[in-house]
Amino acid sequence: MPPTSAALTTDRAGGGALALLALGVLWESRVLPLGSWREPGPGAVPVGLALVALAFGVALVVRGGSAPPLGGVGWSEAPRALVVVAALVFLALAFERLGYRLSVFVTVLFLVAAVERRPPLAALIYAAGISWGSFFLFSTLLKVPLPRGPFGL
Amino acid sequence: MTILRLSALLFAVGLGFAPAVLAQEPYPSRPISMVVPFPPGGVADLTARPVAAALERQLKNPVGVVNKTGAAGAVGMQFVATSKPDGYNLLLALSSISIIPEADKLFGRPPAFTVDQFAPIALISADPTVLVVRAESPWKTAKDFIEDARNRSGQISYSSSGIYGTLHMAMELLSHSAQIKLRHVPYTGAGPALTALLGGHVDALASGPAVVLPQIKAGKLRVLAGWGESRVAALPEVPTFKELGYPDAEFYIWTGVFAPRGTPEPVLARLREGLRAAVGDPEFKAAMEKLETPIVFKQGEEFARFFAADAKRLAEGVRKVGKIEEKKP
Amino acid sequence: MAETLQNLALGFGVALQPAMLFYAFAGCVIGTLVGVLPGVGPLAGISLLLPATFGLDATRAIVLLAGIYYGAMYGGSTTSILMRIPGEAASVMTCIDGYAMARKGRAGAALAIAAVGSFVAGTLSVVALMLLAPPLANLALRFGPPEYFALLLLGLLVLAYMSGGSMLKALAMAALGLLLGMVGIDQMSGYFRFAYGVVELGDGLGVVPLAVGLFGIAEVLLTAGQATPPAVLKPRLRELFPSRQEWRESVAPIGRGTVLGFLIGIIPGSAHIISSFVSYAVERRLSRRPEEFGHGAVAGVAGPESANNAATSGAFVPMLALGVPSGPIPAVMLAAMMVHGVSPGPLLIQQSPALFWGFIASMYVGNVMLLVLNLPMVGLFVNVLRVPYGFLYPAIIVFCVLGVYAVNGSVVDVWIAIVMGVLGWILRKLDFETAPIVLGAILAPMVEMSLRQSLAMSDGHYAIFLTRPIAAGLLAAGALLLLLSFRSWIPFADKGVDA
Repeated sequence: MPPTSAALTTDRAGGGALALLALGVLWESRVLPLGSWREPGPGAVPVGLALVALAFGVALVVRGGSAPPLGGVGWSEAPRALVVVAALVFLALAFERLGYRLSVFVTVLFLVAAVERRPPLAALIYAAGISWGSFFLFSTLLKVPLPRGPFGL
Repeated sequence: MTILRLSALLFAVGLGFAPAVLAQEPYPSRPISMVVPFPPGGVADLTARPVAAALERQLKNPVGVVNKTGAAGAVGMQFVATSKPDGYNLLLALSSISIIPEADKLFGRPPAFTVDQFAPIALISADPTVLVVRAESPWKTAKDFIEDARNRSGQISYSSSGIYGTLHMAMELLSHSAQIKLRHVPYTGAGPALTALLGGHVDALASGPAVVLPQIKAGKLRVLAGWGESRVAALPEVPTFKELGYPDAEFYIWTGVFAPRGTPEPVLARLREGLRAAVGDPEFKAAMEKLETPIVFKQGEEFARFFAADAKRLAEGVRKVGKIEEKKP
Repeated sequence: MAETLQNLALGFGVALQPAMLFYAFAGCVIGTLVGVLPGVGPLAGISLLLPATFGLDATRAIVLLAGIYYGAMYGGSTTSILMRIPGEAASVMTCIDGYAMARKGRAGAALAIAAVGSFVAGTLSVVALMLLAPPLANLALRFGPPEYFALLLLGLLVLAYMSGGSMLKALAMAALGLLLGMVGIDQMSGYFRFAYGVVELGDGLGVVPLAVGLFGIAEVLLTAGQATPPAVLKPRLRELFPSRQEWRESVAPIGRGTVLGFLIGIIPGSAHIISSFVSYAVERRLSRRPEEFGHGAVAGVAGPESANNAATSGAFVPMLALGVPSGPIPAVMLAAMMVHGVSPGPLLIQQSPALFWGFIASMYVGNVMLLVLNLPMVGLFVNVLRVPYGFLYPAIIVFCVLGVYAVNGSVVDVWIAIVMGVLGWILRKLDFETAPIVLGAILAPMVEMSLRQSLAMSDGHYAIFLTRPIAAGLLAAGALLLLLSFRSWIPFADKGVDA
């Protein structure tokens, strides 16, 4: 596909996002005093860096015409990846509420059995092994503080 | 009544008693966490561990140290301030507990926690800070230093562990008391602040005595005066600022144990008892000696008074420092 | 010299006692286990395990901690190479070429080169430490904020050389990283920046959550859903070790990495983190085949791994010579000494020679032990890859979360890693490199702090950067490098150089 100057390419998408972020930072920095050249304040460097980032973002948008088009990026792994993200979110939410072992057990079991469709018994043993085993190794033996949930799990 | 009904009735009655029984579990019946809001290896952490170990021996119940670091102590302090007041989460805090809410107020942001969210239990140690300079510097006494600072206002520099930190506040209290103006260069921690002084990048430092004693003994640093009410035991020939005529320059890096406000009185009493016995524990004493940190134990009324006075001093100090960029050169 | 050898003999006499060997070995094993956790490096390793040493006497505790320290470093390379997940923030560069080598079936070679490179760097830097500690330490102390600033500016230049693709894209990612580094409390004024009331963000987003998220979690997100899971070619036994060609290619990078890493490491502070990044850029610049970088260049593993190890050894120089906590890791070691009643300070060497030289000797011993431990285990580690990916990746993400959580005990870090993981995934899809983000985030707060400290020291006069010789020298070197690279942007310059 011949690149057109108005095409939304990967570079342009990335550059545009960066530019937007930079603008956001500039906006958020409005409450930070800039100080002076002799004594730069808390806002000076963030504003400076945001301007630099903005410049790069705009440059990418302008010069990004020859990159592959955004629509051409294959997202075939996206469904699975999103499930993994969901599992991670669950893990983070459950980590300190259900304790390490329970939340890890549920997460691994879910991913191995439900998502990856491995044999249920193998998944159960594996999940239990990973959760209890790593807890024993790191928390009990090495005394790395890991959260415990209800019933001291 | 049938056996079944009788059993059911007994069971129900038993269930009814259960919460009461559980609530009457003697304290402590689970492991206690002593939260240290600073990283392992720092002053707070090194003091906390012997305290926790000694308390464990007294209470015959596990007491574990948990480091919850971040934001100069604010993360750990906030954690305990908002945790259940059941006596299973204690805080080992430094004097910065009074400073952080004041700094938050200064910046107009909702405070991470307030001092009222805590019930003070006991003071464990209180080290006055000392003023150190390099051995090659021209000031031989505190008087020299202060006079020079008056003549060359804003020229003499000092390092600190961070803005509104303990080492910064100590020096600020001196500046106000002696009416001198010094140049502050903040660093990220007491270690870098000391390194900066040794490297000649700043002229002076207010430091806890234990850290600089080896340097003093090796002849690299000279100590001019101390911020305490009385002289530091390990440095008997060093005068206090109070003696020199600056009574407002009083600052201690102290460690104390706190619980969340609302912790039941019997639990607090048990903890006070436990800590009083813990500081008399020979192993604890030996550990503190190795750290060259004198034990200063205060409890109850005494601690409350000390804490209130200290907090007042620091709050005023923070307010006087104000926001940095509001000062015109 | 004779005295040093005598002292060293004393040290070995201490270190080679069976009890000490046991502690060194235990430290190495524990350190490796902890170091394999994504994101948990030597600092987190010794911080987590410091309490476990409190029951021991001083020398044993120090030997154990030193073992943990090295073990964590060696362990960090393993996950970087096998799974493209940084074992510690400084291993991010190893992830790139190390994993690429693994994909080509050279996993064993990469692991061996990393191990040997670390061993050589570790040993050589211990020698340097021993012989040159006092004069180097005094030199190192002269690095104040202006010198730091100049050095870090040089470090920023490095960003431009980190990627093989478009320089504009790499710089854009660096800018993103620099911005991310601005989150947190401004240490000069006390303002909370971009933290939105989340107290845990006071110290910034954190290098570990960033690195583990952008590399570890993003990697899993990219590969979990692929129809054919990533094929890390499993090599046959004969192919487990580097070929003669690969050894030849690694010699010079190991040498350069060692020197570079050691010099950066002795500077007080946290500059040592950037040593692996700088080494990567240097190797890339000096290589005759720079296009190999990113696709399995041996130098891209040998250089950074050696630099990293040398830098962490170098960090001990000011600590041992002057008793000064010259960085977070030495600070923990000093605390360990204090707890055991050893007074660290300039007189440490005189007052506790057995401890000091025992420590040095056990560093040698630790390095040897780790080499001996790791080389045969190369085969074992590579076999981890035989586990079907459907079982493997859930375990990987669990360990990523565990590692990130362990550093601070905070779930907020886990959330940051997850968000960074999603970001890293999207960026990789759009063909942007993520390594510059990590370096930018590390550098930004340090550059800002040293600039403002310098101005505080000089009461606002920028001349301080020119009147101090070391700072001026570094700035001049940086300007020179910049000019040289501009020359290569001229259209008719030689090919084979990045544009």
